[in-house]
Amino acid sequence: MALLTPALATVLALFIYPMLRSVAGAFAEGDRGDAYAHFGKAIELYSGDMVFTLLIVSGSTLAIGALALTIAGYLTLGNTPWAVAALRWLYRWPLFIPFVVAAQCMRTFLAKNGILNNTLDTVGLIDVANASGLLDWRGIVIAFVWKQAPFAALLVAGAMASLDRSMIDAARNLGASRFRILYDILLPQVRPTLVVALVLSFVTMMSVLSVPLMISGHSPTMLTVDMAFRINSYGDYGTANALGVISYLFTAVAAWAYLRHGIREGSAR
Amino acid sequence: MLFRTTTIASILTIAFASSACAQGRVTLNVITAGDTNMVDYVKDFLGPQFEKLNPGITVKAVGTGPGDAGSQKILEKVAAQKQAGSSAWDVDVAVVHQKFAGQMVEQGTLARYLPQLPNAGMVTSVTARNALGYNVDGYVIPMFQSQTAIAYNPAVVKNPPRTYDDLVAWAQQNPKKFGYNGIKGGMSGVAFVTGWMYAYTGSADKLMAGPYDAATKSSWGPALARLKEFNRVVTLTAGNAGTLDMLNRGEIAMGPVWVDMFYTWKADGKLNPNTRLALIGPGMPGQPMYYVIPAKAANADAARKFVEFATSPKVQAEGIVKRFNWYPGIDAKHLKGQLDEASWNKLFVDVTPEDLAAKAKPLPIAPYFNDILEAYERQVLN
Repeated sequence: MALLTPALATVLALFIYPMLRSVAGAFAEGDRGDAYAHFGKAIELYSGDMVFTLLIVSGSTLAIGALALTIAGYLTLGNTPWAVAALRWLYRWPLFIPFVVAAQCMRTFLAKNGILNNTLDTVGLIDVANASGLLDWRGIVIAFVWKQAPFAALLVAGAMASLDRSMIDAARNLGASRFRILYDILLPQVRPTLVVALVLSFVTMMSVLSVPLMISGHSPTMLTVDMAFRINSYGDYGTANALGVISYLFTAVAAWAYLRHGIREGSAR
Repeated sequence: MLFRTTTIASILTIAFASSACAQGRVTLNVITAGDTNMVDYVKDFLGPQFEKLNPGITVKAVGTGPGDAGSQKILEKVAAQKQAGSSAWDVDVAVVHQKFAGQMVEQGTLARYLPQLPNAGMVTSVTARNALGYNVDGYVIPMFQSQTAIAYNPAVVKNPPRTYDDLVAWAQQNPKKFGYNGIKGGMSGVAFVTGWMYAYTGSADKLMAGPYDAATKSSWGPALARLKEFNRVVTLTAGNAGTLDMLNRGEIAMGPVWVDMFYTWKADGKLNPNTRLALIGPGMPGQPMYYVIPAKAANADAARKFVEFATSPKVQAEGIVKRFNWYPGIDAKHLKGQLDEASWNKLFVDVTPEDLAAKAKPLPIAPYFNDILEAYERQVLN
C-alpha cells in the first residue's frame, strides 16, 4: 500500500479530479438553468464534427493496423537481410517526433506546391499546376498514420519476434506464401498485442489538437479544435466540457475493448 | 502567477521606495502588458532616450505578460490601490489592451490626461475615443495600431480589390485563389469575417459602438448566406501563418493578414518580396494598445511628459513604425517628415494614411463579437 500511494495520488490528482471537474462543468447549469444546455449546444453546433472525428480516428486506426502488420510481418519474414535491417532502423524514427513537429513538417510536405507534389512533378508523375494539396482530412490521416504506425509496429514486431519460429519454418516447408503465414499463423497469435496498440493509438489521436489545427482549416474539423475554440473565443468552459465528455464516451468504447482483452488474456493464463 | 504578481509587486515597492529616498530624483514606473518585445521597447528604446532628455528621471520598465492576462494584472493592481485608499499609486504609466481600457475608465482608476498634452491634436483615431463600445475619450492614447489588410500577389492580381464587392467578384472569377483561415484558426480570419459583417449587414456602426441589442443578429441571415456561398469558391487555410505560407508558395493569390506580421515575414525572407497589401472598403478591423496614466499616479507630471515623448512623431516613426512594423498611434500624416523614404514606402505606399483614416475599423463590441462568431458557426459552417 505504501508503494501504491504515490502512484494512486498522482492518478487521483492529475487525472480523476480534473476529469470529475470537467464532467461537473459540462452539466453545470448555464444561463437557462438547464443541466443539458451545454450538451444541447455541443450537439447543435458540432454534431458534424463528432462524426468527422470518429471517421478520421477510426479510419486512421485501421490504416495504422494494416501498416503495422505489414512492417512487423516483413521484419519477421523478410528474406533480404539488408532490407530488413534498413527497415528496422528506419521505421522507428517518427516515434521520436512530437505531433506538433510532425504537423509542421506535413504543412510544407503535403501542400499543393509542397515537397511531395513538386517531387512527383519533377519525376513526371503529375502536373503540379493541376494537382491539389492534401492539407485537408487526408493530411490529418496521413500525419496520424505516419506518427502512430511505428508505435503499433514496435509492439507487434516485438510480439512476433517472441513467437516460436518452428511454426513459421514448418509452414514454409509446406509451401505457404509469406502473406499466408502472416495472415493465418502470425496474426492470430499477435492479435491481442495488435488490439492493445490500436486502442492506445485511438485514444492518443482523439486528444491531439495540433495536427487538425495546423493541417486543415476546413470544416468539419476535429473536436479538440472546437474545444479550444470555445475556450479561447468565448471563455465557454461549459460547452467545451460537454464536448470533452462526448470525447470521453468515444474513448470509453475503446477502453472497454482494451479491458475486455485484458480480462480474456488474464483468464487464459 | 501568484509568484509573478508578488515579484512585480515587490519590484515596484522597491522601485518606489528608492525613488522616494533619492532626493530630487524621480523613478517613473512604466508597466506594460504584452510580450517581452514590449518591455524591451520601453527599457531599451524609450527609457534611455527619455532619461537623456529629462535628467533626474529614471524609467523603470516592468512587464506583466502577454495577452489579455497581462492587462488584467494591471487592472487588478490599480483597482486594489484605489480600494485601499492609497493617495500615491506606484504605477505611473501603463500600456494596456483595448479590451481593458473601458473597464478601467468605468472603475475610475484612470486620469483624463490627453487634454493636458500639447500633441493632443495629433490623436485622431476613432479608437482613441471609443474602446469596444466604452467612451474612453481623453483617457487613452493609442501606442500603436495593428491592422488587418488583404495581401496579394501582383503577378496574378492585376487590379487589386478596393472593396469587399471587388474581392467577391474577383474570387468568383478565380476560384480557390483567395484564401482565409476561417474563424477557428486565428484572428486574421476573424477580422476578415468581421469586415464582411460590417460590409453586408448594414449595421456596422451599431456593431462597433453599440448599444448591444440581442435582436440585431436575427437580421444577419442574408450576409451569412452570402458568406457561405463565398466560402465555396475560396481556399480555407490553416491559421494566420497558413495564409502567408500559401501566399508565398503561390497556392493562393490573395488573403487577409496582420500587417505587422506581413512585414516581419517579408523582412525575414519568408514571403515573396513582391507581395503587396490593400486595405479594402468599407473597412477591416484592427486593434490598438493604449498608454494610460492611473488617476493617482505618484509622478503624474513625469508620466505625462513620458507619454508625450512616446507619442511624439519622431518616436512613433522610429520606434513603432520602423522597429515594429506597427501603424502609429497618432495620425500618420504627422510622421511623413520623420521617416526615411524606405521606411515610409514600406508601411504607407500600399495602405496610405488616408486609407487608414477611412477604412481602419475597430473590432465589434464584445457581445456582438461573440454573436458574430457563433452565427458563423451556426449558419456558415453547418
